[in-house]
Amino acid sequence: MSFWDIQAFTGHWVWWTLTVACVVWYSTITVYVAIRGVFDIRGMLRRLAGNSDAPHDPAAPSAE
Amino acid sequence: MTHFSWALDGSIVGLYLVATMAAGIMVRKYVRRVDHFLIAGREMNVYLGIASLAATEFGVVTCMYTAQNGYDKGFAGATPGILMAVAMLVVGVTGFCVKPLRDAGVMTIPELFENRYGPRIRWLAGVVIVLGGLLNMGVFLRTGGEFLLLVCGLSPAGDASAGFFAAHTLEITMTVLLLAVAAYTILGGMLSVLVTDFLQFIVMSAGLIVVTVLILASSDIGWGKLVATVEARYGEGGFNPFVHPGMGWSYVLFNALLNFAVVLTWQTTIQRLLAAKDTRTGRKIYTGTSFFFVCRFLLPGLWGMAALAVLTPAMVGDNTLYAMPKFLALFVPPGIMGLLLAAMLAADMSTDSSYMLTWGSVIYNDILAPFRKGPWSDKKGLFWNRTIIALIGIFLLVYGLWYPLKGDLWTYLGVTGTIYLSSMSVLLVGCCYWKRANNWGAAAAILFGAIIPVAYLVLEQVWTVQVTDAAGQLVARSVVKDTIGPYYSGIATYVLAAAAMVVGSVLKPKTGPADAKGKA
Repeated sequence: MSFWDIQAFTGHWVWWTLTVACVVWYSTITVYVAIRGVFDIRGMLRRLAGNSDAPHDPAAPSAE
Repeated sequence: MTHFSWALDGSIVGLYLVATMAAGIMVRKYVRRVDHFLIAGREMNVYLGIASLAATEFGVVTCMYTAQNGYDKGFAGATPGILMAVAMLVVGVTGFCVKPLRDAGVMTIPELFENRYGPRIRWLAGVVIVLGGLLNMGVFLRTGGEFLLLVCGLSPAGDASAGFFAAHTLEITMTVLLLAVAAYTILGGMLSVLVTDFLQFIVMSAGLIVVTVLILASSDIGWGKLVATVEARYGEGGFNPFVHPGMGWSYVLFNALLNFAVVLTWQTTIQRLLAAKDTRTGRKIYTGTSFFFVCRFLLPGLWGMAALAVLTPAMVGDNTLYAMPKFLALFVPPGIMGLLLAAMLAADMSTDSSYMLTWGSVIYNDILAPFRKGPWSDKKGLFWNRTIIALIGIFLLVYGLWYPLKGDLWTYLGVTGTIYLSSMSVLLVGCCYWKRANNWGAAAAILFGAIIPVAYLVLEQVWTVQVTDAAGQLVARSVVKDTIGPYYSGIATYVLAAAAMVVGSVLKPKTGPADAKGKA
């Protein structure tokens, strides 16, 4: 009985749909996040490097 | 027997470990201040946040208990994941509690509580959070080590006749793994955690998806056999949690409360919100990650159901926690096995590093707060943060080696997490939305929120009776587990914590202007 066999999922279509949604959504989001995340990391490190000489924020935790 | 190949799969795992360690250690140069170390200077954007949150909340231990749920409960075992996804989506869309929390600009939840409940409650909340969090995390190492050894075809019990290393393979593996994680976490803090989380998210996701597709596409297993096996073993209860004999409405309600509290107050989740560059970004991370929590339960759950379909009870043994790794050792082919192991190492390392940093941040920011007379320099703050993380690592090694886990893993995690989730969620809701909430109510909620789960955990271990099982053997049975059970105990904890907050707050007399803010 294959994954796409109509007989296999008619009785439990909710779980079949959820399983397909998980595989498709997770595959898509992994690729998308892998690409966009690189830009996020570069941006974060660039901003941190730029702020490294800035005066310390008095509200920062170490200044309690 | 296993398909693990030391040459091929070992190389893949080695490559992954080298890449992760290098990335984690390289970013240490950007850490100049304590807020860089603990919350990445609040510079995290949406996609890095999604990767980090997903990687943090999926460890080997997650994979083990969700697969165990699949093995023991069928598709219905994915119910907690669905409940958590709903909670995450609702909170992300509405901004319930998380908006005022992020807007406050605090670094931990107890820090927010000080504004409403005073410094003593902040300190007490910090203690409860660390206690619950560390007890929860205490089982991560051993469980993760058991998975890795079983998949490699080695026994977690070790072989005492073959020398020290063979007898203590699990302990040595756990120690080396923890040292590696501690190294980059201590050096780079949240920055290292975020960058390694990103890499670990990609590797972990690839492994999860590939193995799941292999199972579904397999001619020996496939969707049809999974459904037929669950139907044969559990009937309708394998698909509907309300009719499963081991679940029912108490299981669903307890998990709904638990997951809602997790979304609101679990410090590792909240730390991503607090590290986000603004409130809108934090909420987008919540909504964007919400469906991941269905995948988090359902995909490993399918692995557990595949183990149910393929393995005989004799192959599984007494502990169903081991069913999934035993199945994978036989099912996953060489090459893919390396990807799977790298994925699970990634999952384990990302969780361990985030958890160590998170509980360390609460110890530093809230528990040590009364001992900091005047401002500390960043150098001193970074030194103490790094020291605390190292001490947490030592605690995990010791606790992870001797605590004997009884019952199913998800329930243990739920009960230990409830120690703080029940009271902290009540305190947070009161702090954000109820003007009469004060320190009397907060103290009462913390007390009742901690007493019930701690008493349950202790009694489960010590209050046992000897009964004769079906095979005529004398076995020890836990009285509280059989009569009350973890779900009713958990529900009672949430209800009593909320009631204690209301009663305590109402009982406190209004004596002056200071009480308008509920402070001591």
